[in-house]
Amino acid sequence: MILVDDLLLKPFVSLLDILHAMVLDELHDMGAIRDEIKENQLLYELGERPESEYERKKGRLEAELQVAEEVHEKLISGNIEVQ
Amino acid sequence: MSDDNSNLYVYGIIEQTDIEMEVDGVYGASTLGTVDYRSHSALTSTVDTTDPERTDEAVATHDDVLRAVVERDDVETVVPMGFGMAFKNARTLKGVMRGAQRAFRKALNDVEGCVELGIKLVDPADGATDADELRGALEDELDPLSAGQTEDDLFSDRLIANRSYLVEQDQRDAFDEAVERVETENEDVLVKYTGPWAPYNFVDIHIGAEASN
Repeated sequence: MILVDDLLLKPFVSLLDILHAMVLDELHDMGAIRDEIKENQLLYELGERPESEYERKKGRLEAELQVAEEVHEKLISGNIEVQ
Repeated sequence: MSDDNSNLYVYGIIEQTDIEMEVDGVYGASTLGTVDYRSHSALTSTVDTTDPERTDEAVATHDDVLRAVVERDDVETVVPMGFGMAFKNARTLKGVMRGAQRAFRKALNDVEGCVELGIKLVDPADGATDADELRGALEDELDPLSAGQTEDDLFSDRLIANRSYLVEQDQRDAFDEAVERVETENEDVLVKYTGPWAPYNFVDIHIGAEASN
């Protein structure tokens, strides 16, 4: 329904733009990344995950989150265009 | 007591009590003080902003300060504020406290003499547990000893349960023993027991951001 609603509300936005935005939003799911950060922390605190693995994963997830936040900001502002 | 013209960061509200203690506070603050309005005191540190940036480290510091207050013998109940409540000066803060008096009174009454304790049950890596049975055991052991419970976010597939409990101070020993029984009787399951915390999950106070400037 999001797709139909968006098309009705923004008739001049191309279907490709909307699909592209939806895929980007899905690829950079901030909620899922935050959940992974919490899981990583929990498993480390419980002794299930060694410090080296915890630190490596933490660094990767924080970088992913930062990218996701930037993408989300751009999606909200409408500054991402399909090339 | 804070300089009347300093920006003040607020961690929480307590019944009127004079507190001055050294803490590792938000944004490098080194002391915790109080600002009083009638029968309530706001727990404050002096900071150099009214718009504190939310970072994981700053949020953890906010929690740690509240935890230090919860552990004090002269404080029975803490109503926590969410992260980020900063005010231009003591006068502004008192104005907000005046407007929120009834909400503070209700919140203090709701959680009077209680702390929050958290428990997470985590599936072992092989996942060979009966999640429903474990959740049932947790409820049977802990619910009767608490004044309230919340089901919190299951942010991992390995989380069987993630619950917060509102526990009266005089029930804490019994609650600790009950958690120990859950651990002993379910050796395969990983148990993460945390607290005491200020009862975040059992009060819900938002004081207007527009009042902070």
